[in-house]
Amino acid sequence: MALDFSFTEEQEFFRQTVRDAVNRLIMPRVKELDEKEEFPWDLWKEFAGLGYLGLRHQETYGGMETDTITQMIFYEELARGSCGFAMSAIMQILMGTYFIARFGNEEIKQRILVPAIKGEKIGTICFTEDQSGSDLGGTRTLATKVDGGWRINGRKQWITNGPIAEFTTVMATVDPKLGLKGLNFFLVEKKTADRDGFVTGQRLHKLGSRCSVTGELVYDNVFIPDENFLGEEIGKGVQYAGEILNEVRVMTGMNALAISKEAMEDARQYANNRVAFGNPISKYQLIREKFAKFWAWYEASRTLLYKCAWMIQSNIPCTNECMLAKYHATEMCMYAVEEGMRIYGGNAFCSEYPVQRFWRDAKFLLYGGGTHEVLCDYLGRIYCKD
Amino acid sequence: MGLPLTPDASLLTASDSLEVGMEIYVLVKQVPDPEAIIKVKSDLELEIENKYFTSFFDEIAVEAGLKLKEKFGGKVTVLTLDNRRVDALRRGISMGADEAVQIADPAFEGSDQFAVARTLAAYLKDKPFDLILTGRQAMDDDAGIVGPGVAECLGIPHVHSIISLEVDVQGREAKVTREVENGKEILTCPLPALFTCQKGLNSPRIPQVMNVMKAMKAQIKKVDLASLGLGPADVGSQALRVKVQKYLPPPKRPPVKMIKEDFPENVKTLVKLLREEAKVI
Repeated sequence: MALDFSFTEEQEFFRQTVRDAVNRLIMPRVKELDEKEEFPWDLWKEFAGLGYLGLRHQETYGGMETDTITQMIFYEELARGSCGFAMSAIMQILMGTYFIARFGNEEIKQRILVPAIKGEKIGTICFTEDQSGSDLGGTRTLATKVDGGWRINGRKQWITNGPIAEFTTVMATVDPKLGLKGLNFFLVEKKTADRDGFVTGQRLHKLGSRCSVTGELVYDNVFIPDENFLGEEIGKGVQYAGEILNEVRVMTGMNALAISKEAMEDARQYANNRVAFGNPISKYQLIREKFAKFWAWYEASRTLLYKCAWMIQSNIPCTNECMLAKYHATEMCMYAVEEGMRIYGGNAFCSEYPVQRFWRDAKFLLYGGGTHEVLCDYLGRIYCKD
Repeated sequence: MGLPLTPDASLLTASDSLEVGMEIYVLVKQVPDPEAIIKVKSDLELEIENKYFTSFFDEIAVEAGLKLKEKFGGKVTVLTLDNRRVDALRRGISMGADEAVQIADPAFEGSDQFAVARTLAAYLKDKPFDLILTGRQAMDDDAGIVGPGVAECLGIPHVHSIISLEVDVQGREAKVTREVENGKEILTCPLPALFTCQKGLNSPRIPQVMNVMKAMKAQIKKVDLASLGLGPADVGSQALRVKVQKYLPPPKRPPVKMIKEDFPENVKTLVKLLREEAKVI
């Protein structure tokens, strides 16, 4: 009896509670959030007040120290509402604060982590540049050691929460020639007297996930003190990044699960009511096949994702499994939103129906945690290895 | 059957508890989630998908209890009768209730609302409560019997479907409002009393995650039939006063009828159909 796929009564209760909060706070505003394309400060404050931003952090700093499965339940339920809002919140919960909690000194944690958990300071992590994203070895943002600290120079792109972030965890190289071995994380804050040179660049207007603001950040010879180096040893940035990549990939898969389910539930109701040639279109086999395929792939995805969550929680190595899970869930989601669009026929093409929003939001999931081209190249190489 | 459930009057009128705050009990029920799939399995059996949540009106009752506790101090205890689930109790704790009690016993299977009311009253009869709150009706059977039933068994006053609640702790009195046809009725009522809560009384809070975690780990006190001084004949199928004869699924929605004429003939046809077929005008 070692194999058990059930959630505990407590986990089910947690899911129901998050679902209720999402239904009450986010669901009624989903269309507005998408159309306004602005960060919803009022929703952020209300949501932060519930305490979910501290989900994976220590109680000492106001967190809840929940386990990985509980966190994944939260991500799945949150993304059911607004993918954009989920992206902003998860950036704060996971990537944006992880290295500060892991390597920041006590003063930094009190100054940044505590207000971040309360939602008072917004943070982000900066990997992507114009010539590097999945290819982290191509990072060109430079960290130069100077007396008492570091100087950071470079431009970061596609930064979720970037335009509103008060603190950023920046991946920078100490020497571009070192490739992956030169990478490190640094804490750079805004609104501090000696942080001249940290500038918010262009804000990007996105296809989907539009209420999470995304943009460019410019670091022009910014000085940061020694304690803002986030790590134990120089050159271990990639190793440190690996500590959360599994979580990031499974989290992205959870978002895909949520969007695909919402899209297909919506399409199911439409197909049951839209009459063509005298019957609801769900009576036609070609339409039914779309739901059957989705159902099969959705269930497989969900099982693999929660298996990965269990492996992370149990400290079982699972890098490949998490890549597979992210790849499978996101491709499954692409299928769901594409077929949802087809089920809606011409109505899919107008903004009156939500299906186009699911389609647009879902595309955002293709890139985080490694593009599918990069993931598949790696996975194929591993699989074919003699 | 026929057990003396009227509580000892000296306990119910004791004002000691009010000096240190209000002792409030909230009766809660877990009901199928509106998204849960429910099928009529046979005439007397429903197949309900395993998705439950706290009945909406009971959440309003919990909120009302918590607001009084915040104002006057005291304790809020959530109480349910359910052999399998405690979702509503955990929900109550996550909202801020202090204690949770589950009454469970195999003998309760098949109980009607009167047996539930009798059992809840049996638990409450020797408790030093100032106020009992519950929803105006459960969102599954919509019966609305348990609340008034508990009040009757305890011999305390009750007001149904309140939309406002003020408590005068010193005067041991509550002022409540309920909606009546074409207006509102304002009533005063001595404490202890039982009120059933209606939409409009408040907006139930969304629990903070810290309390959600507390609720996930909370120890739920369990009480069985024997400890309440009741026997199998007092509850379950042996004590039925209301018997379900048959479950029927809701009728299927008729197909959409398209009116093919052009304007203005289509308006005339629509009015005719609304009057003669749908009979709504």
